[in-house]
Amino acid sequence: MNRKGLIELVKTWQVALLVILLAVSVVAIYPHIDDGVTTNLQYGLDLRGGTWLQMRFQAEVVGFATDRPVSDFLADLQKTLDAEIYLIGDNKIEIRKYFAENELKPAFTAARGTLTSYEQGVSRKTGEQVKQILEQKLNALGTRDAKVNLLTGFSGVTQYVRVELAGVSRSQAEDIVGKQGKFEIRIHTTGNETEHVLYGDTISTVGIPSQEPGKNTWGVSFTISEEGAKQLRDAAIKYGGTTDPDNHWLDMILDGKTVYSAPLSKDLATKLQAGPVQQLLASTGPGQEGLAQAKNLEIHLRAGALPVEVSLAGTNTIPAPLGEHFTRMCMYAFIAAAVAVGIVIFYRYREPSIVLPMMGVNLSEIVILLGIAAVIRQQLDLAAIAGLIAVLGTGIDQLVIITDEVLHEGKVPSRQLYEKRLTRAVGIIMVSAATVVIAMLPLAILPLQSLRGFAVITILGVLIGVLITRPAYGKIIAAILSK
Amino acid sequence: MGFVTFDVNRYTPRQMVVLPMVLLIVSLIILCYGVVTTGMPAKPGMDFSGGTAITIYTEDSPDVLKTIFSDYPVIAIDSGIANGKFIKFGIMDEATFDSLTTILDARYPDAWQLAQIDATFGQTLQGLAKYALVFSFIGMAIVVFLAFRSFVLAGAIILAAIADIAMTAATMFVIGIELTLPTFAGLLMLIGYSVDSDILLTMRVFKRPGKLDEKLASAFHTGIIMTTTTLAAIAAMGIVAYLGNVPVIPAIASVLFIGLVFDLMNTWLTNAGIIKWYVERQEAGQRKESGKKRGVR
Repeated sequence: MNRKGLIELVKTWQVALLVILLAVSVVAIYPHIDDGVTTNLQYGLDLRGGTWLQMRFQAEVVGFATDRPVSDFLADLQKTLDAEIYLIGDNKIEIRKYFAENELKPAFTAARGTLTSYEQGVSRKTGEQVKQILEQKLNALGTRDAKVNLLTGFSGVTQYVRVELAGVSRSQAEDIVGKQGKFEIRIHTTGNETEHVLYGDTISTVGIPSQEPGKNTWGVSFTISEEGAKQLRDAAIKYGGTTDPDNHWLDMILDGKTVYSAPLSKDLATKLQAGPVQQLLASTGPGQEGLAQAKNLEIHLRAGALPVEVSLAGTNTIPAPLGEHFTRMCMYAFIAAAVAVGIVIFYRYREPSIVLPMMGVNLSEIVILLGIAAVIRQQLDLAAIAGLIAVLGTGIDQLVIITDEVLHEGKVPSRQLYEKRLTRAVGIIMVSAATVVIAMLPLAILPLQSLRGFAVITILGVLIGVLITRPAYGKIIAAILSK
Repeated sequence: MGFVTFDVNRYTPRQMVVLPMVLLIVSLIILCYGVVTTGMPAKPGMDFSGGTAITIYTEDSPDVLKTIFSDYPVIAIDSGIANGKFIKFGIMDEATFDSLTTILDARYPDAWQLAQIDATFGQTLQGLAKYALVFSFIGMAIVVFLAFRSFVLAGAIILAAIADIAMTAATMFVIGIELTLPTFAGLLMLIGYSVDSDILLTMRVFKRPGKLDEKLASAFHTGIIMTTTTLAAIAAMGIVAYLGNVPVIPAIASVLFIGLVFDLMNTWLTNAGIIKWYVERQEAGQRKESGKKRGVR
């Protein structure tokens, strides 16, 4: 093809789009030298080493029916079970302690109600909170590349939480997840001076954000041990907090950072003067902002402890050197697959002017796919790599369909006929692309772990092929054939 | 390649569908046997049944490993190519498990990989996988039906897809490929892959002018290239990954490879046979109606 022909070709939107996206993708992948060649691509744990922990919530979401007022029923239930119970919807409660279904039934009967459904797990809301706590904790520890995912069933009950930590062994990972922050309450003495009041270990329970009856201010209630209550009273009296509460604020400090600061309320000051108080409430203010602050405060009060106990349901550890080995092997596997495809195509067409553009378009599809993966921060793990190589295989399939459709009867077709044939080829491709996307969609949506990456890569690959690279190839092959 | 010399036009529709239908029935019997004996149509791997598995990269022989782990509930030790050793354990308590990782760290620093799944979590994954399979299949069937709007044509494609999946799953059961998350993904992908060549065939025959024989032959010509390129890519990927002791990829590759081989048969015998029968029946109908007029236009 001469120079002019090439320029004409690049001017068609299909080819121009391909070239532009190719350039953008290379920028997005950003290969650069930094202690060896690195890129912006995100690798999964199995390619760079690390640990994932899959944890099951030791709690359950239970449906109930009762003729009594719900609050009475719940109060009785709480007494028998000695567990935190929250109403999470009409006739649904979350019990934050593990009981088997047949352990719960007698308790329900005793409270004059019946158990209507049972599923181990927590409400979506609690699940989100756990996720948030873990994320905050991982961020605070400076753990880069940590991921927290929830596994929620169709019933809306969140059953599992999964933590992925790159470059960390299993015991380290368990330490990090189980580790609690250092929580302290200090009281202002004079000026900016503060004195120690109590540590987080004296906090025995933490409630969920709630509004005081009759007020619109949000707050979080918490209880402290007898010893903690005594410490608080002694400190408040010693530094004058009970007599002049406005000048002796309480600070809550988590890992050296002040997370809450407020004066003692008049009411509390009076009570403290009289004796130790175990039941406390930290108010955060009215409205949405108050609620948001209350949510944060709850997490801080728990100092990284989860509101629900979890147990280990599954784990996988890949040492980093092994991950590097896998990465290298994946590269070889990819090259081998590309070469194999090239050989088969060459065997079939024996015409470099067809085979080279075909391979070029096919590989540019992979580059664009990687570019998009870099932008959306899709992790590439082993399953995703398998998807990537499969895309290489299907991509070439469809280029074969176009080529054969256009080359039909071995003659170079007229422009009109060519367009007609290309449309027909695109029709075939569209339908088969739609089926691949539909077949993979459930895997992309369902929380089936690593298969998500596989499905996302496959779907993206098919879409890029149909929308970008196939139309461009149609133009390129036409230009080559009309030579 | 022996298959390339196959001539789609040499056989009658009945002859074409006999072999795949017999194989389909055999496959279904195998799968039923699987469900009856193990509760699942395939041998569930660790992802679905739970357990502990370690992969060690070491020159130690399986016998040596057996002595090292004699205090642990070893179920099986397999050696892969090169130095990969795969050891499966039964259920163990937390303390035993911790001591196991200590031994691994001491003896094979950085050369082991450990995975553990408890049985309940496996059950959860099984449940999700079932949903995924059903949704994928229904989705595919809808797309195919919308594209062709004919019960016979769409039905033929769907039948070919069912045959692909059933035969592949049966083969997995027979040769002992476990059903894990990766191999399950491979099976789902087959749903998408298998219709690829079926759609090509159906479109070529019904949207292109010309004689049935020629159209079948040309579709076959293109289809065989398509499937062989994909087979080549998948085989290359699987072999390199296998030689390199990489997990996951060889499993996906083998399922796709087996599935695509069956797909060749199901497309060019099952589906092509049904299409041939359908077209011939239409032609016969038209001949009756208007004496001399022949051929599909």
